[in-house]
Amino acid sequence: MNVPASEPGDEALAARAAAGDHSAFEAIVARYQARVFRLACRLTSDTDAPDVLQETFLQVYRHLASFRGESQFGTWLYRIATNAALMHRRARARRPSESLDVFLPTFDPEGRHVATPAELLVASRADEILDRQFLAGKAREVIARLPDPYRDAFVLRDLEDMPTADVARVLGMEPATVRQRVHRARLMVRGYLSDLAGVKP
Amino acid sequence: MNGIVCATGVELLMEFLEGVLPPDVQRALEEHVAGCSRCAAFVASYRDTPRIMRDATSATLPADVEASLRAFLRARTDSFRSK
Repeated sequence: MNVPASEPGDEALAARAAAGDHSAFEAIVARYQARVFRLACRLTSDTDAPDVLQETFLQVYRHLASFRGESQFGTWLYRIATNAALMHRRARARRPSESLDVFLPTFDPEGRHVATPAELLVASRADEILDRQFLAGKAREVIARLPDPYRDAFVLRDLEDMPTADVARVLGMEPATVRQRVHRARLMVRGYLSDLAGVKP
Repeated sequence: MNGIVCATGVELLMEFLEGVLPPDVQRALEEHVAGCSRCAAFVASYRDTPRIMRDATSATLPADVEASLRAFLRARTDSFRSK
């Protein structure tokens, strides 16, 4: 988030909050609440997101004193929010995973794309072709259908726009693994968008 | 021919776009995409997918959820006591 120059930076706020300044903690909540909520919706569901939001800021409050500034404050807070979301999801009944392999691209025996350039480009126009509300509902649906490891990497890297190295730190895996999972997810979601927009993969 | 076909190129796309492939593979893939209209279209849609999904899943924080968060933190911490 871009913080206006007149406002204190995250690290300064965190130091004041850790020293017991309640207004500094409240400012951190105000600065990050919308982003944490959005992340929670993407990693869990609209129904579970309010609980994840509360749990995240409770943990932030409790652990402020242990924030040492080794990472950026935002990355540290994102790690707490992600863990809160994953814990919450784990406590839920395991949802049946549905295969999205049908949305992967197809090739002829020589390894060439089967679809035409125009067909391959349709996913790019999904937001022009489809009704906004319809697309919003379907987008949530497909994220929930992604197998968890792909979902987590895709949400953090592509939807929250975090650098791959930060996603790797938050999820505790190698950057190469993050790339591989984001890639699989992106292929599936791309094919899904294409299908929604009227082109069978 | 540089050994890259559409199918192998697709598998390398993420690393290609992040620029972490060995330089010769990066170059070979660039050449393939430049000469293959199908791959050019595929790469464009692959790159656009995050943006479309980001916009479509951008939830805003409802006022009642924000109010509940404040009430929760007031009850569980020493903050949000004033007002």
